Amino acid sequence: MTRVYDLICKAEAAIAGSFLIVMVALIFLGGVARMMHVPLNWTTDVATCLFAWACFFCADVAWRRDALMSIELVTERLTPARQRLLVLVNLVIIALFLLFVIGSGFWLSWVSRARSFQGIPGVSYSLVTMSLPVGGLLLLTTTCLKIRDEIRGRATHRAHAL
Amino acid sequence: ETFTLRFNHVLSPSEPFHEGFQTWAKRVEERTNGGLKMRVFHSAQLGVEEDIIEQMRQGANVGQNTDAARLGSYVPGIAVINGPYFVETLDEVKRLSSSPTVKKWMDELAASRGLRVVCFDWVQGYRNFFTNKPVTTPADLASQRIRTPPAPIWQESIRALGAAPVAMAFGDMYPALQQKAIDGVELVYNNIPGGRFYEVLKYANETKHIMLINFEVVSAQFFDKLPKDYQTALVEECQKAGQETSARILASEEKVRAQLKERGMTITENIDLAAFRKAGEKAYQALNLTEARAAVYKDIGK
Amino acid sequence: MLIVSVAFFLLILIGMPVAFAIGISGALFFVQNPDLPFTIPVQVTISMTQNFALLAVPLFILAGNFMNKSGITEQLLNLASVMTGRWKGGLAQVSIALSALMGGVSGSAIADAAMQARMLGAGMLQRGMSKGFAAGVLSFGSLLTPVIPPGLGMILYGTIGQVSIGRLFAAGFAPALLLWAALGMTVWIVARRRGYPAERTARMPVREVGSALRGGLWALLFPVFLLVGLRMGVFTPSEIGAFAVVYAMFIGVFVYRKLRRASFLEALEGSLADVGSVMFLIALSAIFTYGIVLESVPDLVAEWIMAVTGGLNGAMLLIVLALLIAGFFIDSTVLIIMLTPIFLPLVKDLGGDPVHFGMVFIIAATIGNFTPPVGAAMYAVCSILRCPVGVYTRESVPFFLAVALVTLALVFFPGLVLFIPDLIFGAS
Ligand code: NA
Ligand code: NA
Repeated sequence: MTRVYDLICKAEAAIAGSFLIVMVALIFLGGVARMMHVPLNWTTDVATCLFAWACFFCADVAWRRDALMSIELVTERLTPARQRLLVLVNLVIIALFLLFVIGSGFWLSWVSRARSFQGIPGVSYSLVTMSLPVGGLLLLTTTCLKIRDEIRGRATHRAHAL
Repeated sequence: ETFTLRFNHVLSPSEPFHEGFQTWAKRVEERTNGGLKMRVFHSAQLGVEEDIIEQMRQGANVGQNTDAARLGSYVPGIAVINGPYFVETLDEVKRLSSSPTVKKWMDELAASRGLRVVCFDWVQGYRNFFTNKPVTTPADLASQRIRTPPAPIWQESIRALGAAPVAMAFGDMYPALQQKAIDGVELVYNNIPGGRFYEVLKYANETKHIMLINFEVVSAQFFDKLPKDYQTALVEECQKAGQETSARILASEEKVRAQLKERGMTITENIDLAAFRKAGEKAYQALNLTEARAAVYKDIGK
Repeated sequence: MLIVSVAFFLLILIGMPVAFAIGISGALFFVQNPDLPFTIPVQVTISMTQNFALLAVPLFILAGNFMNKSGITEQLLNLASVMTGRWKGGLAQVSIALSALMGGVSGSAIADAAMQARMLGAGMLQRGMSKGFAAGVLSFGSLLTPVIPPGLGMILYGTIGQVSIGRLFAAGFAPALLLWAALGMTVWIVARRRGYPAERTARMPVREVGSALRGGLWALLFPVFLLVGLRMGVFTPSEIGAFAVVYAMFIGVFVYRKLRRASFLEALEGSLADVGSVMFLIALSAIFTYGIVLESVPDLVAEWIMAVTGGLNGAMLLIVLALLIAGFFIDSTVLIIMLTPIFLPLVKDLGGDPVHFGMVFIIAATIGNFTPPVGAAMYAVCSILRCPVGVYTRESVPFFLAVALVTLALVFFPGLVLFIPDLIFGAS
């Protein structure tokens, strides 16, 4: 189970990283092509599509590494037991929100499948829409693992105390 | 029961369309004694056009000002209305409303795509090429990079007329012209003063290649829920306000034109329109829209 | 929106990541308004990532991380140290100078603050500077990076408000010098009182000054290439970030020969979490903004500002104050996206210059990155230095006052901002 999850994490980082690099290459190529008077109008659509996927995959990388910004001015003054309870409350609310995002995201991808890219007709825009619910699934997995760690009381990397 | 319609458009509040939409909203509200309220949102405040269209398809009480190119991605024939030299006078636009072919497309759009076109009497004016070299024939546009919206009918139309179309956001146009990343734009006269394009472009070439018709669309599900007299009020006031606004815009083009001349732009008038019309044919062929055009032309006697 | 706002603060208070707090509280608006399609929250979040101008955010983060691995940063540090090492406050002065030099290549305050905290943080503590002071300098100093062109804020403001980005770029130089002077003076005063040492007492040999200049040459040339690239029409402003990434890689591989496969992957890997944390917040903030627009809050705010103040200066002062306060809680990128369409038309109506207002607006919004409780640059610096936010807050008050005063002064002297763009592009 852990091995599979490690693999998913590696794949997620690899995909997000390559998408970012391809994005740079496409935007650069688009500029050069336009300068040579042979504008390529699909580069923008492809770059922004990759960006959506990179965004939400990177969000999960950040969430897993506890790199999402939060303020712990108040929470750090509480007793450890209360802190743990509050962290659990947080995680459960986040999990519920992610469930909503995943559900409505997949629903929207399905009902709006007829919408196509402006610049590449014939390709469904659901290719972009799917990035959020799929990213949401990864975020939910991370959240559930955090909940498990919290309950077991061996939170491996607690949020930075600020 | 009272209803509320949130109506979105991407134009700035200073554009004549915004005032027109507000007039439409006011008249509908008066005519239905407040039973149908309309709130107008400018500058895409409610979201991007494509998102709003998807919300309508899910039955939300929203509306959007859009064009035939976008509707064409739901019912392909409609895109023809955005083709080069498709219609050329306000009178032809009016006749479109009674064309059985167009009506069939609109019904299909409502029945199978959930989008109800309330009216399409809103004309933004003629699209012209604005460049730094004078343009009188399609050959003058050869290898000029002209910014145009990304939808296929736009791209193919501009390509057919001889230029290299560049898809680019509206906001990037000014700096791109300034830096010569593009060689020109194709817009209606009324867009030029607001975007200060006269600072970076020398020639206004009156090719009048597209008469830009806009469509006022609401959710079919929402529309069907309205009482009959509310529906009539919404449609009739849309047509009336649209025709008034379009006439006003065409009249004001003359003023804008004089203003641009004063600011140093040169107006190219001796356009070889026959050559442009002929070049435009290629767009209909490339997108397989020749039959659709013939059907509509037969209906309106053009 | 009242319930939404209360929920936002409550969630922040219980320590929820800001990105989730803004998305979850924003979603409550849809619970209150069940006639709205429930898919709007995901729809607007996704649309945010499809805004071409916003691509500049990840691109500048990438460019910053590649520069660090390509050797440009070290060369600039050397140059900064030659320039300011003899000033009181030593390494603190060097860090501000480095932000200015980096400004010519990088466009993001957050990337600059994080990089400098890693590079200079430990050294500053070793030289006996207090943690709060070091964190304050590293954080507020990075304000210079986006104000010196290219800058992320200018690209966003220019794109959203349709203001010439070339003019905005040119408008950044003079305010950046003023901010540098104000921050440098603040460091000087504190250093003198606390006896923080200078880096060097002796003058540098001319030969070493020359070699430092040569080393930094490639980075110093970047703004020149940028202007040439813009002039020749290779790139539009929203594409500059991609240009910066390619340039950093080119220099790293072919000039300084430090960027190899391993360091390339390290830089990329390091960028993922940075991109994720910033972009996720920006994307989810669209949910929150939707309710604000639907309730016509922008119109109400504009009306209120018009009613309270008579003229242009009063309105601009009020806007700056509002931005500084909103900046405590809201990310600068979100502020610029949300507020440009509200404030810019208002200022134009009152006869203000869009470039002058833009510069003031961008600086005021960017300051929010350094102020608690929500500030991405502050967070990056504090977590790297392990500095508690309370300590940071106390010791960064002088820096906040210094940059806030400069911003307010800029309101009254539009000439300061506009003379360079007028010189380059002609008077508007
Ligand atoms: Na910069
Ligand atoms: Na802040």
